[in-house]
Amino acid sequence: MPDLTAAEPAIDVRDLCVDRGGAPVLRNLRLSVNAGEVYALLGGNGAGKSTTLAVLMGLLRPAGGSVEVMGLDPATQADAVRRRIAYLPETVALYETLSAYENIAYFLGLSGDRPSRAEMDAALDAAGLQAGARTRRTGGFSKGMRQKVAIAMALLREVPVLLLDEPTTGLDPVAASDFNALVGGLRERGAAVLMVTHDLLGAADCADRIGFLAGGGIVEEVRADDGLDVLALHRRFGEAAAG
Amino acid sequence: MSPVLHIAANELRLMARARVAQLAIALVVILSAVAALTAISQGRESQEIRSRFQAQADREFDGQPARHPHRMVHYGHFVFRPLPALAGFDPGVDAFTGSTLFLEGHRQNSANFGDVRQSSLLVRFGQLTPAFVIQALGPLVLIFLGFGAIARERDSGLLRLHFTQGVRAGQVVLGKAAALSVVAGLILAPALGALAWLTLVGGAAPVAALTLAAGYAAYLLVWVLATTSISALAPSSRTALASLVAAWALSAILAPRLATDIALLAAPQPTRLETDIAIQRDLKEIGDSHNPDDPYFNAFRASVLKTYGVARVEDLPVNYRGLIAMEGERLTSSLFERYAERQFADQRRQSGLALALGLVSPTLAVRSLSMAASGTDLEGHRRFLRQAEAYRYAIVQRLNRLQVERLTFSDDSKRNSDPEAGRRVRIDPGAWRQTPDFIYRPASTTEALGAATPGLLLLGGWLALAGGLAWAASRRLERAGA
Repeated sequence: MPDLTAAEPAIDVRDLCVDRGGAPVLRNLRLSVNAGEVYALLGGNGAGKSTTLAVLMGLLRPAGGSVEVMGLDPATQADAVRRRIAYLPETVALYETLSAYENIAYFLGLSGDRPSRAEMDAALDAAGLQAGARTRRTGGFSKGMRQKVAIAMALLREVPVLLLDEPTTGLDPVAASDFNALVGGLRERGAAVLMVTHDLLGAADCADRIGFLAGGGIVEEVRADDGLDVLALHRRFGEAAAG
Repeated sequence: MSPVLHIAANELRLMARARVAQLAIALVVILSAVAALTAISQGRESQEIRSRFQAQADREFDGQPARHPHRMVHYGHFVFRPLPALAGFDPGVDAFTGSTLFLEGHRQNSANFGDVRQSSLLVRFGQLTPAFVIQALGPLVLIFLGFGAIARERDSGLLRLHFTQGVRAGQVVLGKAAALSVVAGLILAPALGALAWLTLVGGAAPVAALTLAAGYAAYLLVWVLATTSISALAPSSRTALASLVAAWALSAILAPRLATDIALLAAPQPTRLETDIAIQRDLKEIGDSHNPDDPYFNAFRASVLKTYGVARVEDLPVNYRGLIAMEGERLTSSLFERYAERQFADQRRQSGLALALGLVSPTLAVRSLSMAASGTDLEGHRRFLRQAEAYRYAIVQRLNRLQVERLTFSDDSKRNSDPEAGRRVRIDPGAWRQTPDFIYRPASTTEALGAATPGLLLLGGWLALAGGLAWAASRRLERAGA
């Protein structure tokens, strides 16, 4: 793993341009996320939030600009980058006929890790999945339970970067609040978390910084230190989305 | 464990836990096992029946009482084609061509008693043999189990999760294909067991059995790679299923039927009636040995008289009527031979066309290889017809020679009017017992391998194509980023 000084951001995006199907999606996007920081990227449908994540994972090649994850370029060092990130999609997909333990063992095994049952239990405890559910097939799991399994995987992999794609969509308020607390826990562990979301309230609850994505770039960025007024944010988010 | 093996092991675990997959695999393995056991049992039974009837026919011929040799020419003799050791594995055209020939003088009969003439019409739609199970049902099960292997995981987001673990698209494609190959192995296993049995106990040539095993393994591998690749390339699992089922129907159901029709249209053969009329016309042109004014036989008589230096057939030291019978048989046989070779050439052109259509269907390619290696292709049938005709000609001429050498012309001419002459033209039955039995010589291993080579090469081409498709699918999946 490359050395990264505390001053260097874990995610560093500079003037990123991405076209999809011949149309520009991102134009000169700039954002950075430091270790131990949660960054919420807000934007309307089609603003380019998920595209940003795809570029960070090396699944899409940028048309211009530069992107670094832990000092590595995802476009040319995708495998190395993917070993350092955990990705939680909007709906966490798991093999439904496998248990939580089996899913974790399988996905970690893909990168050669073989966690013990005790290690998995510790991660699942931290993620908050009740013990009785761990041996059950995940076919009956709720979205929240699936996310907890995915978070446990990220914890076991000890990755420095987490990419979360609409993680609280469809969660009830209690589950959303639990999830936000979980994200806070990840920050405490020193992870850099980039969360793309529509959920302004959730973002205000757990993010250190919030960026509004519109027209292919960040049109405004606010910091939790500034004292976040959710209603004011909501108005500005609406204005930003309207362009 | 490498990611490829890890993915393959997980895929097999998922199949093992899916009730529908369990059922499909169990069904095809049971069918394959039943087909293999039936192949062994039917092969043995059929061979035993043919051997018994051949022995009976030989006994009945040998046991005929004292007779005029020409009566024996018309009494005739049955010969049975011995079943190739691997015919149980793939009966090929055996059920359609028949395996029994009635041999008699002046006629070349066609083979009789194919299974399709004795059994219900259902036999035309495929017997439950290992070859049928692997050719038609095997790919269907592979498609059924593999169409969603990648497409469904892309739809659900599981594929992206793999990529974010650092797994490459090629590793996913290979892993899924490896798991499906294990299923293909399960489908193949009972057939391999049957091949081993037929080789070790049934006396089949090991090289032919190995060729069959390699050919069928390559055939199933083509479907494994095609299924996995289409699953990766199709925009959704539904499209993958529809495309693969269409490909299967075209290759395994439609192409074999169409190939026959196309070959018949492209290289048409005269009908049986047309051939019979043409032969009768040619026979008339050759001449009539009973007509005293026939120019050909008048010339033949003159030539014989000159050879022996006598003026009348009555003065010949041999029976002229026997010489006429021999010459007549020589002429008609060479005519039959000419027509048979023409028909074989037409059949060969048809088979060549059908094989060429293996370029559009791997099923046609493996079918050709399978029948050739099993010795049940048309060439095997032609080999039987040729050997039977050679045997027919030999025994008829042997009987005619008895008429030439052991009967006098005088007795032979008066046999119907003079009872004493009629008694003297009957030859001792010991002569029938000295007639050699029919021994069929099957294709040598080299010949069988040579016949199987075009199918094997075509399958090799299909395998390369399927491998290329898998490579292209991996590249596209990698670029698309799931």
